[in-house]
Amino acid sequence: MKDVDGQNPSAPSDPISAWRLRAIFFFFSAGFIYVAVGLGYRQLAQNDFLTNQSDNQSRRVVIRPPSRGKIFDRNGYVLVDNRVRWSVKADLLALQPEFRKEYLDLLNKEKARFPDRRPDYDQLQQTARLNVLNAWLNKIWFVIDSTNQKAAKGSAKVKSTPDLHPEERMVHPDALRKHLNERRALKFPLILDLAFPNSGHAVTPEEGNRAVARFIEQFPVHGPITLEADMVRSYPNGKLAAHVLGYVRDSDILKGQLDDVIEDEFVNLQKLGYTGKKGADGIEATYNEVLSGRSGWELWTKTSSGYNKDLLKLSAPVQGANVTLSLDTKIQKSAEEALAKIVDSQGKPLPAAAVMLDVNTGEILALASQPSFDPNEMADRVTQIYFDQVNADGGWLNRSTQGLYPPGSTFKLITATAGMRANKIDWDDILDCGPSYMVGGRAFPEHEPSGYGQVDLEKMLAVSCNVWNYQVGLRTGPENLAKEARRFGLDTPLLRKPSEHDNHSTTELPNPATRMVVPDRAYKQRVAGEAWTDGDTANTSIGQGYLLTTPLHMACLAASIARGETRTTPSIIHDPGRDGRHAGAEPIGLTTPQLHALREGMVRCVEEGTAKSVRIQGLPYAAKTGTSEYFKKGEKAHLAWIVGYAPADNPVVAFCVLVEGQLDTSTWGGKTAGPVARDMIMAWQSAAEEK
Amino acid sequence: MDNNRQGAKASYVALVFFIGLWLILPSAVRRFNREAFAEFQAPALHLVGKGRDLARYWELKSRSPEELAAASRDLARINAALELKLHSLDDARKENIRLREMLRYPQSTEFVTVVARVSIRETSSWWQRIVIRKGRSDGVRPGCPVVFGDRVIGRVSTVHLTTSEVDLVTSPGFRCTAFLEGDEQYHVVHVSGRAGLSLSAPRALVSIIPLEYNPPAGQIAKVMTTGLGGVFPSGLTLGTLEAGVQSTAEKHMQTGALTPAKELNFIQEVSVLIPKYPTAGEILLTPADKPEEFR
Repeated sequence: MKDVDGQNPSAPSDPISAWRLRAIFFFFSAGFIYVAVGLGYRQLAQNDFLTNQSDNQSRRVVIRPPSRGKIFDRNGYVLVDNRVRWSVKADLLALQPEFRKEYLDLLNKEKARFPDRRPDYDQLQQTARLNVLNAWLNKIWFVIDSTNQKAAKGSAKVKSTPDLHPEERMVHPDALRKHLNERRALKFPLILDLAFPNSGHAVTPEEGNRAVARFIEQFPVHGPITLEADMVRSYPNGKLAAHVLGYVRDSDILKGQLDDVIEDEFVNLQKLGYTGKKGADGIEATYNEVLSGRSGWELWTKTSSGYNKDLLKLSAPVQGANVTLSLDTKIQKSAEEALAKIVDSQGKPLPAAAVMLDVNTGEILALASQPSFDPNEMADRVTQIYFDQVNADGGWLNRSTQGLYPPGSTFKLITATAGMRANKIDWDDILDCGPSYMVGGRAFPEHEPSGYGQVDLEKMLAVSCNVWNYQVGLRTGPENLAKEARRFGLDTPLLRKPSEHDNHSTTELPNPATRMVVPDRAYKQRVAGEAWTDGDTANTSIGQGYLLTTPLHMACLAASIARGETRTTPSIIHDPGRDGRHAGAEPIGLTTPQLHALREGMVRCVEEGTAKSVRIQGLPYAAKTGTSEYFKKGEKAHLAWIVGYAPADNPVVAFCVLVEGQLDTSTWGGKTAGPVARDMIMAWQSAAEEK
Repeated sequence: MDNNRQGAKASYVALVFFIGLWLILPSAVRRFNREAFAEFQAPALHLVGKGRDLARYWELKSRSPEELAAASRDLARINAALELKLHSLDDARKENIRLREMLRYPQSTEFVTVVARVSIRETSSWWQRIVIRKGRSDGVRPGCPVVFGDRVIGRVSTVHLTTSEVDLVTSPGFRCTAFLEGDEQYHVVHVSGRAGLSLSAPRALVSIIPLEYNPPAGQIAKVMTTGLGGVFPSGLTLGTLEAGVQSTAEKHMQTGALTPAKELNFIQEVSVLIPKYPTAGEILLTPADKPEEFR
């Protein structure tokens, strides 16, 4: 096909045009090839990477914290439980249309009021959200609070819930802002706990149930406001054994190592977590890993604005394991009730501690410390007022295991043992004990102004004669006294976990005392930079001076004497297979008559001595009282002690009670601490008879 | 050919126009239309119900004298038993009044009862919804409990002038709180409808059952209303808890299936319990009655 000139019309008219065409052809071909290769590369080579990236952008994993394990006493009685918590939550995604409408209303109003001013859009959005959520919250309170008759009259008067400050019945702007920044995808909690609408103001169970029922039956089923049930820590006995049990606090579990619980393919997805709980004190803290369980997770699609949309997959959390304590609730209760009766002149309970152990196994049957706190108050969010109040009372300190005190006359058991083991005195030696004893030119007094006259070991323990101990202490020497005290473990940290339980915490209870003091010459030189004197020996022999130990150590001492050994390893964990062997224990090293006299002296202490006011008819037991001096706020005050074991002839339990006296009250071992010991023994006897 | 094509085009245009019109109509107008349609439909529903009653009447009419005599005998027996029950109820009522007066306890008759025939039931929502022949003109309000004797059937969800729609116990729109028979601690459990496929076994879910709850041995545990929510009177039977209560995945609560108390397949007549005073939730849902702060 040629034209009249014999040329092909479709052919380029000149070589330059042909070159241009080729160039354009090449250019477009290269472009197509580039696109095709690129597409192929993306589809084939980068498929996994891009799919993963797409998933990351459109999906997220929400971590669900597990319920914690329960804590039981040795008899299977529940000490720490989980209760259902009903939370009212707002689905922020479903509320978007309402937010938008309110925002536009506010914007129009703002523009009408200030036509020349540029509105603060962010602030308006925040206000719109708050207005919508507060409107819903008002409706919720209206439904929960009012009876039908009151609702008909249009008055929403508080009925089911306790009096709340108006601010507590509204959404807190900071809480909403924080939620939107950190947990936008999750539902916003309007009321965290219907049964406990305000931390620290629990309603009765019936009122809590009514609030839940009113919401369930009167609020629309398919609405943006939902009721969700989850589990929350519950301490059914309130303050009982609070220092042992401890409490939990909020924990952002995302910060922990959670990847091991999530399937591999979701490991790289964005993760978001509900607030979990972790142990903050007591067994809750030291056995946190056992009690915590395993988190669950949910796989959600998310919207472009970050809200969760559809649930794709889930794995339920697994509840933590249970822990069984060696405590006996009845004995614990009796100890705490007895301690609560010891009050100062203003009726305020005095700081005190009480411990009871199983003599053979060392398992702790009761461990009380006063003042205390209610762990329920800490289960969700502790109020500053409550925290400050407990702090001011000194309620956080577990005096049984963390309090360091001079043991006073209860130390005379060590002085006597050291003297007999060093052959400086024997069980039937009689010493002349006047109203005082001169040591280094200073008269060390007897607590009985007329003195006790002729005193042997048994009488010394019965009446707690000081002069006998000054003499024996000086004869024995400070090194032998210190050696004997150390032999009984008075400066050895207690409550160490067995190696197989070692994880984060190495002790059964948090921070048991480690700075006990059994003084000797080197100690005084190191601490005070002075040489040891006979006066120091005399002071040490009656449990004063630099000596410092805990009530738990003294209970262990009593248990050791009851068994005729030197060490008792206490434990707060119940183990039915415990064999009764105690780490580092050896025979006490006294002859039979000496050990008999030591024990008989403790029995006489109860029968006719300093503890006779707390005798128990038909149940002879052994005890040693003590009243030591210590400095409280720079002034001298008394500490009341009693240690011992029961029954006298076949010891099963050992005990120790300590009471911190006030400056203006007279506090005595037998009179003040004795009744607590008596009540504990009677509770043990009653529990034993029931079994 | 062109005419046909133009006609088809015009109908598409009309369809798009009406859909667009419907979308831009104010919500009040749309609501009015829906209501009007429901009222327009109501006589037809009535007619279906009446027709069924008539069919039943003619079916009974065709029975033989022997059958009628036997039915009459049975009826006389039932009548006698009911007479006895009525007497004992009368005594109990008098005793109740006496005790209330003695304790100065307020009267508990907070509900007015309206008896209603079931008008229609759609197969597509067989276990979810029934329509009854009583409506706004009879005082029925949304949210009212619907019962048969002391057994819960459901709750009124929508009210028209002469008819009402009732969400059955097995409907996902139904939920309430309950106590379980044999639970001495009176834990509050949650009952919510779980509609299955049409004509499949009706179910509801009982959740938040405490772990320590064990159904009475050898007995079927009743599930009863708590009366705490302000909607249902206490002690009405929702159904029975089926055997095989299961722990949740986390093993801190249990769930179980509820068999409705009344055979929901054959409901012909129900009672609507109308509270003397509207509930707070009802007030919030009814714009005209809303308290000032919620308008």
